[in-house]
Amino acid sequence: MSSIEKAGIPSVFIIFEDQDECWRQACRLNGVPDMRRVWGSRHVPGPEDVESWIDDLLDELVRPLTEEEKNPPEWDISNPRYIFEGTLLEAQEFFKQAEHIPQLYNNAPICKYTDGLPVVAPTEELVERMLKGTSHKPDEIITYHADHRAGDRIEQMGSSGKKGEPVYFMPMRRKATVEKIATIGVMAGCEPEHMPLLLAIAEAGGGCGDGRGGDMFVVSGPYAREIDMNFDTNVLGPGNQANRAIGRAAELMWRNLGGNIPNVTNCGVWGSGLFNCIPENDDALPPGWASLREEYDFGKDESCVYNLRIHHCRTLQRTEFMPGGYREFQKSGHGGIGRRLGVKGIPGPHNWMEYFVDSLWKNWEGGKTFFMLPEMARDLQLYGFKTKDEVYEWLYKKSFMTLKEYRTHQRPDVTTNAWKGIEPTSGKPWKELDEDYMVPAVADPFENCIIVTGGGEEVGLWTDGRSARSNPAYSIDAWR
Amino acid sequence: MGENDKMYRFLNPVGIQEPVELHPLAPRLKTLDGARITMSVGAGGEQGILIPLVKMLPEKYPQVKWNISYAAAHATKAGSLALTEEEVKTTDALIRGVVW
Repeated sequence: MSSIEKAGIPSVFIIFEDQDECWRQACRLNGVPDMRRVWGSRHVPGPEDVESWIDDLLDELVRPLTEEEKNPPEWDISNPRYIFEGTLLEAQEFFKQAEHIPQLYNNAPICKYTDGLPVVAPTEELVERMLKGTSHKPDEIITYHADHRAGDRIEQMGSSGKKGEPVYFMPMRRKATVEKIATIGVMAGCEPEHMPLLLAIAEAGGGCGDGRGGDMFVVSGPYAREIDMNFDTNVLGPGNQANRAIGRAAELMWRNLGGNIPNVTNCGVWGSGLFNCIPENDDALPPGWASLREEYDFGKDESCVYNLRIHHCRTLQRTEFMPGGYREFQKSGHGGIGRRLGVKGIPGPHNWMEYFVDSLWKNWEGGKTFFMLPEMARDLQLYGFKTKDEVYEWLYKKSFMTLKEYRTHQRPDVTTNAWKGIEPTSGKPWKELDEDYMVPAVADPFENCIIVTGGGEEVGLWTDGRSARSNPAYSIDAWR
Repeated sequence: MGENDKMYRFLNPVGIQEPVELHPLAPRLKTLDGARITMSVGAGGEQGILIPLVKMLPEKYPQVKWNISYAAAHATKAGSLALTEEEVKTTDALIRGVVW
């Protein structure tokens, strides 16, 4: 939108007060600092709200420019290679620094370089050691090693996803070198052998997503064993250095490379507590089921990291049955799950997804990602799903609902552009379709995703799926 | 000098900001009278604000030549465009909302 001002057309925007600083930062990043705006209300009913600021809105188009608006101040973007010199103890204090953020309630402090926990201070020696984990030169800029469809939103923000072009870290659209990734790896507690994965995560945007962070990463391939990742019980929890430290490094990339400061550069809401990097368990894949890397055309002997986006309030949900209930259902058809599915007393394998599938799209559309324990994946395969694609297709078919019901969902108000667009399966305008017309909540079966990992009692997890048009799998081997 | 006093240099983890050419705001209108102003309605939510706004603008400011346009879907490249190429040629000023 800055292009409008650059074209000589005066403009004014309606935003919300709490997003004002993010607005200012985005304006500066786009070359026109402090574009004019008025604040709408999140609470006051529309007509009353508009009445209170409509005159100010028009005034912004005629009120003469201030000196600062005519001559924006320079922006210091210097980036020295060394950030501090001193003893280790002094460095601990330096990296603990926080700044109070007036845009946060109670003027809360946010750490300038860390996630709030102590870090390993990145001495030259430790960073040099870390750099031994890759053949890439320290001053190499992080670029895409293959073409990736980054998606409209990311492309708008500056990352093209094209091979050879730089990766920009959001929200501040910054670049990074291999050395900066090694520096962050040291800070997070990583080892040199983690470097190829850290660099692949950086290529994937470094945990920054579109600036609201919360990206989670799944390793597919033999590399996960090379670095001793935990595949089993507590796969999302603490205790394994690789799982935790690499996930933490992604969060430190968001802070240091992306420049994330809540309510200042990032207008996200809850943040995300999920910062582990976890492995897919190849050995536990049922026969015929593809690994994540095979889903993205990598070879079986190659390794990649899959970028699962759980940002912006989204989280993991459980499959809503107790482990014992699941076992009785599969072993003998006993219990509530069996009664709901009409298989009372009939031994499994049964399709356990039937138990909750109708609830998956009650409120939010799109595919689903399932974190599936090996045993539960095997039960689905024995039930009759010979491939993951068959599960994806089944979920897709189950997602259909009447247009009458679909119109009671909120998000399509936005995704259909207030119902002014075309319904994709019929090719007809939304407003011309009968209420009984069946529409899918999932645009493509491949929006669904299964990650087989973890261990322990029979509990599954699920969250939002993926875009069928994106390819969020990044080669680890390319960064060795 | 003890081990605790040993001096080190520490590498900078902060990302590299590319230079941004900073532009002034566009000159403001001298008057609203006869100005061609586009109200670009952002896609999707906040209809509570935008429906009354679109109604009230021509009522309160009849001296303006209003062009009301509706953006493409949210979170798409097309949806981020506030003015078409043609509108850029014919618009004196822009109001855009609600911007997420």
